[in-house]
Amino acid sequence: MASIARSALLKQAASASVRPAFHSSLRTAAFHTTARRALLPPPPQIIEGSVNDAAPVPPPSPSHGSYHWTFDRLVAGALIPMTVVPFAAGSLNPTLDAILCATLLIHSHTGFKAIIVDYIPQKRMPKIRMGFNWLTNLATAVVGLALYEFETSDVGLVEAIKRVWAA
Amino acid sequence: MAALRSSSSSSTARILASARPAFRLSAAAPVRGFAQLADGAQQSQTATDKPAKMKTFQIYRWNPDTPTEKPRMQSYTIDLNKTGPMVLDALVRIKNEIDPTLTFRRSCREGICGSCAMNINGTNTLACLCRIPAEDQAETKIYPLPHTYVVKDLVPDLTLFYKQYKSIKPYLQRDTPSPDGKEYRQSKAERKKLDGLYECILCACCSTSCPSYWWNSEEYLGPAILLQSYRWLADSRDERKAERHDALNNSMSLYRCHTILNCTRTCPKGLNPGLAIANIKKELAF
Repeated sequence: MASIARSALLKQAASASVRPAFHSSLRTAAFHTTARRALLPPPPQIIEGSVNDAAPVPPPSPSHGSYHWTFDRLVAGALIPMTVVPFAAGSLNPTLDAILCATLLIHSHTGFKAIIVDYIPQKRMPKIRMGFNWLTNLATAVVGLALYEFETSDVGLVEAIKRVWAA
Repeated sequence: MAALRSSSSSSTARILASARPAFRLSAAAPVRGFAQLADGAQQSQTATDKPAKMKTFQIYRWNPDTPTEKPRMQSYTIDLNKTGPMVLDALVRIKNEIDPTLTFRRSCREGICGSCAMNINGTNTLACLCRIPAEDQAETKIYPLPHTYVVKDLVPDLTLFYKQYKSIKPYLQRDTPSPDGKEYRQSKAERKKLDGLYECILCACCSTSCPSYWWNSEEYLGPAILLQSYRWLADSRDERKAERHDALNNSMSLYRCHTILNCTRTCPKGLNPGLAIANIKKELAF
């Protein structure tokens, strides 16, 4: 628990001192919400080509299409037994724990990427899209490093959840 | 018809001359009957028997001639006793008798053409297949299809929708001729795969109900077009399955479907675009 718990405690303390100011700003924001803020107002209608042309067909890229989808389902499906087994069987296998952590990381990474693809259109805001993509990569790397640290120098994910559950 | 057949030996001019009065006689009777029904005299007679059943419709209005004016909701109150049972009947009646500037698409009035797709009380349906909620006193709200560019009032611009439909090549693509040189035959089982797909009339109710299509309509094809795409993928006579798969195999065209299933819920023809999309995903999976 060493390093991670300490940083979390520090963060909590820091946020506690900041909280009053943050709270008041939130309240004024809520007061002003009557004026609707359109985050992404609809652009004027643009029709590419003539009315009778077919919409452009993107080039095939299975790594973003079918392979990606299949991989997503496999990871999501694999997570079900992997989350149930350690708690049901009660065995504490560090390898299994590491695999669970890695799968969880991949699952959340692809999930966040899917949200970015859905809500930040590449054509309208390519820079913001790229920024968020790198932010996700960075977050995944940080969480991966943290999980590695937690697995190698501490009790591991399953045992931690068990202890929190029992506490 | 009897006159036509008996005079078959004589010249064509005489055939026409003898046929015409007979034709007019047979056609005139039903037409006059229909006109009687439509002129309203009979209806007002029946209306006096029953108490008036007034119903208010709130309809989205926007005029492209005054583009700076904001869209507004306009209320129309009509007597349901004098109106047909469907929302389209009410709309036609409002246009005929109250406000001729009200604009909407309609054609077949029986759920075959898909022209009168609109958002009625929060659900995308065909106005011709949607009953007026008569027992309900609340106002019925009618909007154009959501997240579309509006041309006028209830008329949405479906240009992109049709362009996307064109992009999936919605026709039979085949190189090998049929063995007997006549027609491309299918077994009963093969034909059965097209049931629930060929009935789609492309009214755009499902596509415009899909949040994923709202956000990414430029690149995501939407449930209606994907259902049509699967209609050609499932066709045993089509020989371009691989090309059709390739056209969908990218991050946007197909895989923006997140199984929200608004499409299946809203389809006025009772089809299941969600299942068709799931089948395409399964075909592409391995």
